[in-house]
Amino acid sequence: MSAPISSPRHRRRDGGKHLVVWLFLLVELFPLYMMLQVSFKDNAGFIQNPWLPSPPVTVTETIADRDGTQREMTRVARWREVFSGVESDPSRRVVAAERSWDPTVYQFGNWAFGFKLILPFVANTVFVAVLGTACSIFFALLGAYFFARYKMPFSGVLWSAFLLLMLLPGVANIVPLFVLLKDMSLLNTLWALILVGVAGAQVFNIYVLRNFIEDLPKDLFEAAEMDGAGHFQQILNIVVPMSGPILGTLGILAFLQKWNDFLLPLIVLRDKELFTLGVGLIYLDGEYVKQWGQIMAAYFIASIPLIIIFLFMMRLFVRGLSSGAIKG
Amino acid sequence: MAFAITRSKARREWRLYLFVVPAILLVGTFAYFPAASAIYHSFFDWSGGDTKQWLGWDNFRRAFGDDVLWGSFGTVSLLMIFNVFKMIPSIIMAVLIHRIVSDRWQYFYRVMLVIPMIVPGLVTLFIWKFFFDPNLGVLNQLLDVTHIKSLLVWVDQLFGWEVFHAGVPIGWLSQPELVLPALFIWGFPWIGTVGVLIYLAGLQSIGTEIYEAADLDGVGPIRKFLYIELPLILTQVRLSLVLLIIGTVQGYGLQLLLLGASGGPGGRGMVPGLWMYNRAFIAGEFGYACAVGMILFCFILGLTLLNNKFVRIDK
Repeated sequence: MSAPISSPRHRRRDGGKHLVVWLFLLVELFPLYMMLQVSFKDNAGFIQNPWLPSPPVTVTETIADRDGTQREMTRVARWREVFSGVESDPSRRVVAAERSWDPTVYQFGNWAFGFKLILPFVANTVFVAVLGTACSIFFALLGAYFFARYKMPFSGVLWSAFLLLMLLPGVANIVPLFVLLKDMSLLNTLWALILVGVAGAQVFNIYVLRNFIEDLPKDLFEAAEMDGAGHFQQILNIVVPMSGPILGTLGILAFLQKWNDFLLPLIVLRDKELFTLGVGLIYLDGEYVKQWGQIMAAYFIASIPLIIIFLFMMRLFVRGLSSGAIKG
Repeated sequence: MAFAITRSKARREWRLYLFVVPAILLVGTFAYFPAASAIYHSFFDWSGGDTKQWLGWDNFRRAFGDDVLWGSFGTVSLLMIFNVFKMIPSIIMAVLIHRIVSDRWQYFYRVMLVIPMIVPGLVTLFIWKFFFDPNLGVLNQLLDVTHIKSLLVWVDQLFGWEVFHAGVPIGWLSQPELVLPALFIWGFPWIGTVGVLIYLAGLQSIGTEIYEAADLDGVGPIRKFLYIELPLILTQVRLSLVLLIIGTVQGYGLQLLLLGASGGPGGRGMVPGLWMYNRAFIAGEFGYACAVGMILFCFILGLTLLNNKFVRIDK
């Protein structure tokens, strides 16, 4: 993209803008920072020092009790103590204090625990999201091909029926949907989430893909037909190779949406073995005694699959987010 | 456009209909059928089972006399105003990034903006819930450290609100008066990744020469925004406004997770969608919940039509 202003006189004035943008970004990323640093602490460490990561240093204090016996207590050092001397609480009789290097300050156990806690949920979610995304893109591709290829009889009527659905807010549906799933005995199954998710994404995906397929050169389809290719072959050999980026974008949007969904899983799922991340995290939130470190580690683990997608598909990701929102 | 097709050819190509069958079946079963069922059952006393009793318009009559429902529409209007206000930082951010000269910095800031998106929305929500925690929560500690708390207590005593007390942790999600302020603070600094990226896409169409002309005329940064940048992203701003309003009216996930199914202390965070959820899954009044859903649906449909009439989006 082109820079709007490029004279050196203006370059100097950019400092203020950078500052404001950085301020915004720092506040925006603050929750992420908290998640990461709290995930390495236990509750006591968090209360003692909520803002910064713990220093990898412990202080061992020898305390003399009233009856003359001595006992040792080890605690995580404060950052100030790392650089200057040990500060001891004057109300306790500290005989000696010693600093020592100790990386076990970082509670890696939180992460192990978080993994154990949340991995089943992640597995369920991956199952639902991958299968759901694949099915919704596949069926949408077929449907879009139907609308884009020929003006078949009744396709106009069907199209209006689809578009009407885009106007209808889905909010009133959830109550009857629950009863419908109950009648189909799909309650408490992951299939319910997949089916409803696929159905919900159809209209938008077909809408986007139809416009895209109609813009493909018609000669390609005609040539393929001359060579005796069936419609399915035309989809496989013409539409799919030419619509890679848009399929990727729609796929990412669908995946993100399924990853973040919690309302439907909350209503549908009962058994803990079937929980997806949505319900799983809500379940964690409902525990009485909360070890925030473990919970934050679990939160971070919940984001890892998205981070992997992000790293590999950064450009599609950014484009998908902007274009998807424009067309939605 | 799609090819025109003759009737005889269409008859030969009947297999093409098979392509659209899965989509029709799925959408019919999981979107149209529930919608129809919602309309039908809003006239019944129904608890989700096979037995139901015809009530006529009673559910709707009850809904119009339902104080909770009316209150929830008030709450959602307030939230709507909040959310419109929360659009401002994204616009400022987009304009600032756009005005930065260096392409490399622009790209860097974009990447930084997308980073919060890789955290699932639910996780962000729970981190914020953790921030609001009265004892361990970051928000209260921040207020203590910066001494804003004592300021709040002072203001409280001045006006006699009885909300903030010295030495007592602020219960953001447990004091009825603070539920709405907490929902307002939620998500600070309110930068929506998607929003900023859309605005940036709109701003890209501004050519260098426009800025140069503006510079020659001595136009200041604020007037540049009002006369050059804002008109160009107005389409995007209006579009996000429409999506935002509709999203706010029908959304209730945030309230459900932060405050619970009864809308938090004193039901201050109750929104129409949550009331529908509450009636169906807490009280088991599925018929009444359907009626509430229908009212909400009509409200949203009205808003959509109004939007289409007054806020034209030229694609």
